[in-house]
Amino acid sequence: MATQTDSTQSNDADGTIDGLIRRFDRHLGNDMSIRKAATVYGLLFGYYTFLLVPIVWLMLSSFLTTSGLYSGELIPSIDEYTIANYERVLGDGLFQQYFLNSVIVAVATTLLTLVVAIPAAYSVSRFEYPGRDYVILGLISSQMLPLVLVLLPLFTIMFRLNLVDSLLGLVIGHTVGALPFAVWLLKGFFDGIPEALDDAAMMDGCNRIQIMYKIIVPLSIPGIAVSAFYAFIASWNDYLFVSILSQSSGTRTLPMGLQLFQTANQVDWGAVTAAAVVTMVPVLLLFAFVQSWLVEGLSNTGTKGS
Amino acid sequence: MSTQSDRSGTYVRELLSLSKESWLGYAFLAPVVVIMGVIIGYPILEGILMSFQERSMLQPDNWTWVRFENYSQLVNDEVFRTALWNSAVLTGVAVAFQYLLGLGLALLLMQKVPGIQIFRSLTMVTWVLPVIVIVIIFNWLVQPGYGAVNIIFERLGLPTTYWFADTRWAMPLVILMHVWKNVPFFAIALYAAMQSIPRDLYEAAQMDGASSLQQFRYITLPNISYVSMIMIVLHVLFTFNNFDFVWLSTGGGPLQTTEVLPTYIYREAFETYALGYAASVGVVMMVIMVTFTTIYIKLEDFN
Repeated sequence: MATQTDSTQSNDADGTIDGLIRRFDRHLGNDMSIRKAATVYGLLFGYYTFLLVPIVWLMLSSFLTTSGLYSGELIPSIDEYTIANYERVLGDGLFQQYFLNSVIVAVATTLLTLVVAIPAAYSVSRFEYPGRDYVILGLISSQMLPLVLVLLPLFTIMFRLNLVDSLLGLVIGHTVGALPFAVWLLKGFFDGIPEALDDAAMMDGCNRIQIMYKIIVPLSIPGIAVSAFYAFIASWNDYLFVSILSQSSGTRTLPMGLQLFQTANQVDWGAVTAAAVVTMVPVLLLFAFVQSWLVEGLSNTGTKGS
Repeated sequence: MSTQSDRSGTYVRELLSLSKESWLGYAFLAPVVVIMGVIIGYPILEGILMSFQERSMLQPDNWTWVRFENYSQLVNDEVFRTALWNSAVLTGVAVAFQYLLGLGLALLLMQKVPGIQIFRSLTMVTWVLPVIVIVIIFNWLVQPGYGAVNIIFERLGLPTTYWFADTRWAMPLVILMHVWKNVPFFAIALYAAMQSIPRDLYEAAQMDGASSLQQFRYITLPNISYVSMIMIVLHVLFTFNNFDFVWLSTGGGPLQTTEVLPTYIYREAFETYALGYAASVGVVMMVIMVTFTTIYIKLEDFN
């Protein structure tokens, strides 16, 4: 390596295009040339235009005045930008109520999911008992069931339990949606922690519950963060459960709140785009916190090859 | 040991002789089993029963057994057949595109170009967005007169319309929204799988003079096949099961060109109030999903 660098040094110094390309190529390493890098960047640019431009477009539109929105121009002049849409949306009493409901339901769902899923994942990861494999199989296969079919009788059950049009009903419904994935993900993380640590702690007189909270949980913070994030967005983003179980503004959440600004014949696009941005910003902020763990979390689950 | 009664006797003895540890294991698991049983298990059983009943959403306690009447009605129901076909097309086309585009993006993310970390960290953004927000974004983009897509089309001299209301374009648009949301998840999962392939496999192949296409075919693809299977099965289930995208964007229209099984069930149950009939569609859906998964996993086991 070193000799190769030395021998090409003189060629770089001449400052010609060829010299520059060679210098870049060396910077990029052995299996990358500047031509290949240009292709890679070109394709990446294409992909991320497709993925990100629609989001940026929504954000830009939410800051437009009515005349800017309906001007038919791709780039309205600078004085068409305003925060009036946000003032209208955030000042709306019902929208505030829906936002608050969303926060309460999503946070409660996240907590309930973790409280239930962590011991369960610890159980299937560490304990030996008859029927353990069936539980894992049952959790995974619950993904194979049509949610709409579940909802029909569920509505009746919730009605009998007096949980229709209550925040608790939504929390329970959303928790069920997030549980199978959370248990599966956490099991993957717990499996990765050497069992020798459990044994050592047991020697020191810890019981199983202490081991779980003093050793397993602190060592799996990334997995717990990803599970929490998953439970949060499953609840925050849900429309189906809310549309059936919520009957009044006291329990409706943001996905329904977005309909406040549209009637059958007319859509207030300024308010709708601003409300959509308000709905997605909390998710994106949380995502920014967990995104570095997300890849690890995904590669830790069953995707590794059980 | 060999006879049935012996075996069940063993199970009983096993349960009786369980250690304190095992009981603790059950205790840790109990809340999940109870919650899943009450909210998923029991409703599924009742849903199956409901499909043999005539029952209305308005008076759920007032029902009669009709045996297979709901199912025989399904056979002649044209809307059901349309929804079944649309569900199959939507699922097949959307998952195929998601996998191919996701695979392409995963290969790009593996490249060691400067700044690739920024791209990797931005990838999952569309996957975390609420479906309703995605629908609003695409709905806004295709508004006639002032949506960005139509403005650009007009400049280019291409036809402009409200694409969600066009019988030819509504389904492709619904598919596009699915693909837009899920490509990142495929990309990240496949990227994670590719990263766990040992580097020396590639180095050995390079020594032997394998082209990068051959390396992809004989090293990368076989090593990501397990993850690919999981991702494809999961997303077939997610897409086949998905209600929000269609309901919030087209509501199944125009002229039922985007009606899928979940929206049809929802409509029958909560708008027509035909609970028993809706349940029979749900059971058909469930049978399809379970069959698909079982066949796929069996096939994968043989290879």
